[in-house]
Amino acid sequence: MSDYIVEMKHITKRFPGIVANDDVSIGIKKGEIFALLGENGAGKSTLMSILSGMYEPDEGEVYIRGEKVQISSPNHAAKLNIGMVHQHFKLVPDYTITENIILGIEPMKRFAGIFPYVDIQSANRKIEELSKSFGLEVDPKKRITDLTVSMQQRVEILKVLYREAEILIFDEPTAVLTPQEIEFLLDIIEGLRQGGKTIILITHKLDEIKKVADRCAVLNKGKLIDVLDVKETSTNYMAQLMVGREVSFESAKTPAQMKDEVLKVENLTVKNEDGFEVVKDVSFSIRGGEIFAIAGVADNGQVEIADAIAGLTKVSSGKILLNEQDITDERIRKRTEAGISYIPEDRQSVGLILDFDVATNLALKQYYKEPFSRNGILNKEEFDQFGNRLIEKYDIRSGQGIQTQVRSMSGGNQQKAIIAREIELQSPLMIFVQPTRGVDIGAIENIHKMMIQERDKGKAILLVSLELDEIMDVADTIGVIYNGRLQKVASSESLTKNEVGEYMMGAKHG
Amino acid sequence: MDKDKRKLNLSKIIFKPIRNEKWQPITIPVVSIVISFIAAAIVILLIGKNPLQAFYNLLQGAGIMPKPAYAGYKSMLTDFLSLLNAMTPLVFASLAVAVALKAGLFNIGVSGQMLVSGFIATIIVGYSGLDAIIAKPLVLVVGFITGGLVGGLVGWLKYRFNINEVVSTIMLNYTAQYIISFFIQMYYIDPLSRQSKYVSEEARLTLVNVEMANLKMDIPLGFILAIVVAILLKFLLDRTVVGYEIKAVGANRKAAKFAGINVGKNMVLAMVISGGLAGLAGVTYYLGYYASIQPKVLSSMGFDSIAVSLLGNIHPIGIIFSSFLVSIIDQGSTYMSSQAGIRQEIASVIIGLILLFSACGAYLKHKASQLKEKNVDRKERRS
Amino acid sequence: MDTVIIDGLSFALPLFIIAIGGIYSEKSGITNLALEGFQGFGAFVGALSAVLIAHTSGIGVEHLFYVALLFSMIGGMMFSIIHAVLCIKFKADQVISGVVINILALALTTFLTAQINVLVFGQASDRFQLGVSDRFTIEFLANIPVIGAAFTNIYPFEIIIVIIACFAWYLLYKSKFGMRLRAAGENPHSVDAAGVDVSKVRFSAVLISGLLSGLGGMCFAYSISANFSSSIYMGYGFLAIAALIFGNWKILPTLVACLIFGFAKSGGSAIAMVMELPSSFTDLFMTLPYVLTLLLLIFFSKSNRAPRALGEIYDKGKR
Repeated sequence: MSDYIVEMKHITKRFPGIVANDDVSIGIKKGEIFALLGENGAGKSTLMSILSGMYEPDEGEVYIRGEKVQISSPNHAAKLNIGMVHQHFKLVPDYTITENIILGIEPMKRFAGIFPYVDIQSANRKIEELSKSFGLEVDPKKRITDLTVSMQQRVEILKVLYREAEILIFDEPTAVLTPQEIEFLLDIIEGLRQGGKTIILITHKLDEIKKVADRCAVLNKGKLIDVLDVKETSTNYMAQLMVGREVSFESAKTPAQMKDEVLKVENLTVKNEDGFEVVKDVSFSIRGGEIFAIAGVADNGQVEIADAIAGLTKVSSGKILLNEQDITDERIRKRTEAGISYIPEDRQSVGLILDFDVATNLALKQYYKEPFSRNGILNKEEFDQFGNRLIEKYDIRSGQGIQTQVRSMSGGNQQKAIIAREIELQSPLMIFVQPTRGVDIGAIENIHKMMIQERDKGKAILLVSLELDEIMDVADTIGVIYNGRLQKVASSESLTKNEVGEYMMGAKHG
Repeated sequence: MDKDKRKLNLSKIIFKPIRNEKWQPITIPVVSIVISFIAAAIVILLIGKNPLQAFYNLLQGAGIMPKPAYAGYKSMLTDFLSLLNAMTPLVFASLAVAVALKAGLFNIGVSGQMLVSGFIATIIVGYSGLDAIIAKPLVLVVGFITGGLVGGLVGWLKYRFNINEVVSTIMLNYTAQYIISFFIQMYYIDPLSRQSKYVSEEARLTLVNVEMANLKMDIPLGFILAIVVAILLKFLLDRTVVGYEIKAVGANRKAAKFAGINVGKNMVLAMVISGGLAGLAGVTYYLGYYASIQPKVLSSMGFDSIAVSLLGNIHPIGIIFSSFLVSIIDQGSTYMSSQAGIRQEIASVIIGLILLFSACGAYLKHKASQLKEKNVDRKERRS
Repeated sequence: MDTVIIDGLSFALPLFIIAIGGIYSEKSGITNLALEGFQGFGAFVGALSAVLIAHTSGIGVEHLFYVALLFSMIGGMMFSIIHAVLCIKFKADQVISGVVINILALALTTFLTAQINVLVFGQASDRFQLGVSDRFTIEFLANIPVIGAAFTNIYPFEIIIVIIACFAWYLLYKSKFGMRLRAAGENPHSVDAAGVDVSKVRFSAVLISGLLSGLGGMCFAYSISANFSSSIYMGYGFLAIAALIFGNWKILPTLVACLIFGFAKSGGSAIAMVMELPSSFTDLFMTLPYVLTLLLLIFFSKSNRAPRALGEIYDKGKR
């Protein structure tokens, strides 16, 4: 009994409409790496939020070091030496590393014996020591805005260590890292374990579990399916348990039938708001029937390339040709009409108007044209018919049909609505930016299938993704971007995942 | 346990009427109004007066209920017509606020836009001696164009220089107030009334002291126009490409840009329409309800119109009803003050309270839906 | 020249303290257009308590300046609770809440002033007469050419404001409360994750803005207007907002902005005096601070950066 440092017994947590955790019981031993495996919405984050004090369970008990506890807040969890490394970093961009780490538990000193002030100097020193002892070297005086994603993650880990956590929960830590960075992170995790820490790793990536975890609990739709010894279980079996059926890892992709050139980008340079070049002299072209994917670590200029093509960002030099027509300085609507569909990264704040209903959102790119309107007067019937047709064709699930407010729909269905709208434009060029972010595995498969279908209809497809697996799965051609420059452009067959990773970190040049 | 139950019962009383989502646009304002009047009643009780009496006096003063006695040439009808006369500019002003809000902009410079339009129309048409048939329409045109230009300037500053429209409209309010005060005092002052000289009867949008059936009444010509404009505006917002674009820009600027909508053009356009409507409010106020301008004073109507607009759910037809209500409070307050001995200023306190509670509308909505979810949850668990 | 500096400072400093209030609120992530209402309501409570105490104790109202200051801060803070509750608890739109509060402050104080004048003092009046607070001169510093004017004919509140401003600077940039407050306006999730209650931090920030605005309003009432009436709502709160926007939400640059306004105002009336223009021309010069605000905004609005989470309703559940 008492060899478990964490025990959660019969945990049930309900949210309006769903049961996020249904009678889940797990025990975690001191000093092990314990993985929680499950799809989006399987309930793993909820379970760990209970452990880290964000939620209280409706039913069930939690024992820490054999003692029954009711963890009421993240502060309480910290007192019990439990710390969470969040997937979405919770950092203040303008603060230094030190300021971010000490936030909430600031060391104080007194000026002239009266006025207490935050003692940054001693905190700087302490953090430098701490970071060295765990092999996480950082410069505590640097600001978050100047750090790469993987460095920001280190700050998140240091935050937890600074609070003297013994039990560390990692929530999907590898989602935004390159293969090499992942490798390094897994080493760090292993190092922490050797330093006596207990690690809980939330993930849906099987190879990571295989690599570092000792044991693994599989969750599906809120229920605990099984707890497995990782060494004795095959990844295939784990995947089956996770999804609840057999999965094919290969996408049903046929070889590309490439046609004429649709998009040509010549020496494209883009500056951001501060006048800093984020895209530098990038050239490439995409032909009909080809999926061209841009691989890269977040914030290396890939989104700006997509935005520049669609007209959302100004081009500072270079040329963009669509079907041999120069669209470099055209307005957004002209480009859409010239033949660009765009599925943006941020579907909620860019792709959709959440307060509008489904029908209105589906017509967002055509409302001003016949038959949706005539002489400036809208034809509401046409909106409704069009909406109903798309809901049926693309299986968009919404509570009240076309009148549903988009805000109330699930992420996957919101994404379906955007993709439906953009496919219906029948554009020769389709741009997908992070199309599968935050949607569950079923929806991912579906989105990939649609992309390949459109390709096979002869469309040129530009995919921007941070998920290297996704790129390796669907792309015909891969362009790797690092620091605003295309490092390498090659067919996907000629590149291995590791090679792409090296180009992504600028370690290799093409 | 008992306490919990009581708490639940109380929230049931408040939230039950607003539970049905379909009726929320109407029920929430009604609940806000009721709560405000209860609050006002408490204040009146504290002063030691009878609130029901006071509210009845309000209605009497506004021409909704008959007074016990009338002066010569006066009746309930004349009172009611002066209510409409006062309500006309308020409808325009509130529509102005509503259009801007639909585009996601907060036009709190309606007072300033009213003043500028009223002043320009006064000096161009009001003192011109033109015939009524030309002068009256011309007043409207000049008012709309002047207000539209000022509003457009605000929209352009917002789009071009990212200047918060709340700050710029306030600055323009004060600037307009002082500059126009300067011109009135230098060139157009009536030394007796200390206001600008009266505009000609031909230019005035209210027919004053029309004798009919032994009554002398003020007929507000602009009132019909206000109703027509409200209906037109509803059509514009719901049924046209322009309305679709303005609402898209207001609901989500980034998504609108992404969809190829010209955000800057639509922001300026919405402010031109908003300013234009404020201009109409200005001319029906300064060349209708009144016939002159008091220097150095901004009409409080610009701020009241924000309340009216929110209370009317930023909906053109809703605004007609909410302006009606607020005008009753405003117009009836003088009579109430003389009859019940309650200070007239309480009228604006009541309006302020209505506004305060309608600002909580989003919370009420949220709470109501939460309560609904809880009930569903409880039922589910039981079964 | 001297009067320009003397009057300029006595206008700029109350404006500055209101603007600091605004900085606190906005740095914590709560848009605050309610400064105008806070300063008016604070001044109302301060003035009311001064005249009431004067009435019962017989002390001359002009001697109750410090009492009035204290009560104005309490009054401003009490009134700011409405904004805090609406924005933080009720999750109302912060801009709408601010505007509503301004309207309510004007209506309520106008009504109460008239009502209390009748009930307590038995006279129909729309104002509380306060008089102008005493002034003093720091002799040895006042003799310095040009700058000396800054130490001539000072209102006591100018000193108080400078002291409070220094403390406000220290609290915002050096204390742990300030560190959390600024973080709440940039990324509230980080504050929450650090185990600090975002709502509490923001609530206190809004209360501080009410407290400081009330103080500023009282200073205006005891200097420029010499009474409390609805004329206190002259747009000082909005000028303060404009000042903190040029000041890029930082305390020291905001002081510079306030000084520019102050000197524009006093300089304007000085010019009108020197040129011996008729009194209606002062109206033209009165527009100077407002026009200047607009012009400066044109140059500064683009380059300035508001706190990242400003105006966003913080919802714990959302990521």
